[in-house]
Amino acid sequence: MAISTTIYNTFFRRNSVFVATIFTGAFAFGIGFDTAVTTFYDRWNKGKQWKDIRDKYVQPADE
Amino acid sequence: MLSRQLGAGALRNAVSAPSFRLKNPLAAPRAFAQVRNASSASSSSPLESFLNSRITLVSVSLFTAGSVAWYTHLYGSLPFISQVHASHASDEGLHPPAYPWSHGGPLDTFDHASIRRGYQVYREVCAACHSLDRIAWRNLVGVSHTTDEVKAMAEEIEYQDGPNDQGEMFMRPGKLADYMPPPYANEEAARAGNAGALPPDLSLIVKARHGGPDYIFALLTGYVDAPAGVEVREGMNYNPFFPGGAIGMARVLFDGLVEFEDGTPATTSQMAKDVVTFLHWSAEPELDERKKNGIKAVILFSALTLISLYVKRFKWTPLKNRKILYDPPVDKTH
Amino acid sequence: MAFNGLKKAVTLTPSVRTLPSGVPAAPLLNLAARAPADPHAHGASGPRSDVAPRWAGGVSRTSSGLVSKSYITLPSTTPFTARFIHTSVAVKSAPEVPDFSHYRANDNDSNRALSYFMVGSLGLVSASVAKSTVTEFLKTMSASADVLALAKVEVELASIPEGKNVVIKWRGKPVFIRHRTQAEIDEARDTKWQSLRDPESDEQRVKKPEWLIMLGVCTHLGCVPIGEAGDYGGWFCPCHGSHYDISGRARKGPAPLNLEIPAYDFNDAEGKVVIG
Repeated sequence: MAISTTIYNTFFRRNSVFVATIFTGAFAFGIGFDTAVTTFYDRWNKGKQWKDIRDKYVQPADE
Repeated sequence: MLSRQLGAGALRNAVSAPSFRLKNPLAAPRAFAQVRNASSASSSSPLESFLNSRITLVSVSLFTAGSVAWYTHLYGSLPFISQVHASHASDEGLHPPAYPWSHGGPLDTFDHASIRRGYQVYREVCAACHSLDRIAWRNLVGVSHTTDEVKAMAEEIEYQDGPNDQGEMFMRPGKLADYMPPPYANEEAARAGNAGALPPDLSLIVKARHGGPDYIFALLTGYVDAPAGVEVREGMNYNPFFPGGAIGMARVLFDGLVEFEDGTPATTSQMAKDVVTFLHWSAEPELDERKKNGIKAVILFSALTLISLYVKRFKWTPLKNRKILYDPPVDKTH
Repeated sequence: MAFNGLKKAVTLTPSVRTLPSGVPAAPLLNLAARAPADPHAHGASGPRSDVAPRWAGGVSRTSSGLVSKSYITLPSTTPFTARFIHTSVAVKSAPEVPDFSHYRANDNDSNRALSYFMVGSLGLVSASVAKSTVTEFLKTMSASADVLALAKVEVELASIPEGKNVVIKWRGKPVFIRHRTQAEIDEARDTKWQSLRDPESDEQRVKKPEWLIMLGVCTHLGCVPIGEAGDYGGWFCPCHGSHYDISGRARKGPAPLNLEIPAYDFNDAEGKVVIG
């Protein structure tokens, strides 16, 4: 109860803070969600994508 | 069904009627009308109650519908309804089996090592007859080859460019922006070189053929001798997967035809699988990105749906649970 | 929840009957009572539906006595039926409402926080989705990959000898590349550029002093100037006689501006210049 009250007073009480929280949260969520999905996708398709096999074909001169 | 319900209803009324009469003498004349109905209700036997039961009805219906659906699935037509076909089933070609593609699942990307091998097969085998018009050299970069490899491959091929300062066309080595060179200068040349049959462009062949990658794989590996009674014209080849059975293209993939740089044994089916993967990539180069976006869209939109349902309920709760009370005015002199 | 079933059967005498004449009659109602004077009424009131009309008979008198008296005797067509009023709703002095306490939140504070959180989450995810959608749509307006692939041109610099011009095609326009000699560089740098028509120093126009790279389109009307010509040892436009110096600056003639410099970068490792 104390935690929820604190959260309410911090984020929800003033509408400006509420809206600002939503937009910054959307920004952070967008990045985090992208990263999470990409991580999962790369793990699911381990060894199949180009970035997994690229090392075999890059010439030593490039490195 | 209607009579069964009526009978059951009348039966129930007949049972309850005496007590009703006892409780409320005033209603007695009305009860008689229902009792008259009750007299027509037949006596029930175990067989009849079994036949009349709802479960029997539902299960028989389900069994019938299921049998019809199963038959239709097995034989492709409704039972007891005969069909007349103007064509023979072989005209459609054999239906290809479903192969477990490495990129088949909803979350699976292409196997890019397979694309690389498939490009090799295309370049060494297919490219002799088939063009790949819609794929440029730059498309291979970051998919199956490095920039330097693709540049080197492109430079091996001379492209016409110009006009130059003197207004003449000239030849120059290929660049990344150039498209894959066609094997024939034009369609007429292609037909002339293949006994009148035009080798189709392979850029979108996986999308353009019914059965997709399964069909191409089955076609490449499905060359057999023509069965007895089937006559194949001179210069044609028999392939049961090809609609009509006779195909202009001969079997091209044989074991050990190419030598893969990564040491994969070049069996016929391996080469066919790799080249089909490559052709599938050339038809759908966006597949990897599309599936990733699909994951995101499904997650985000399901979350939005669930939250919307919560918010709807939240907003409607006070409306639905509202208590309306009449509070009469105290001041009666009004 | 607690509806205590209470049934009542009350016998009431009918308040409205149908006269043998077929006209409804309400003996218990005072039909003589007229409605209070209605200021909004329009004209005289018409025949009343609840009073038997004159043609239906009855007793008619004038001041001189009885005029006529007629009776119509018809059997009543409407049987008398006792009507019962059934009330399935409990009759109570105070209205009883169902118990909604089950629906109430246990803790108002956490419930409030949760509600705001859910509404905020809806906004957050919606904003994220909307942003992605808009971004994807805007992406379709940028140049496509095949255009971008043609937008860059690589030129091998080692093949251009000192003091020579090379003209290449880039996005459909000619690009001049000149490998300048030291004398030409000195000449370009020593010019008093502040007094020129389009004042620009040579340092502003080249990244490496020996390589002058510019669009070969005359700034006057778009002709292609001729190299190593003109009064200033640079370029000369044959269309209207504009002269450019060895730094591509307009010196004479109608050209208003210096020759344009495209965006380019040197790739020192491979000895190439990438234009675009």
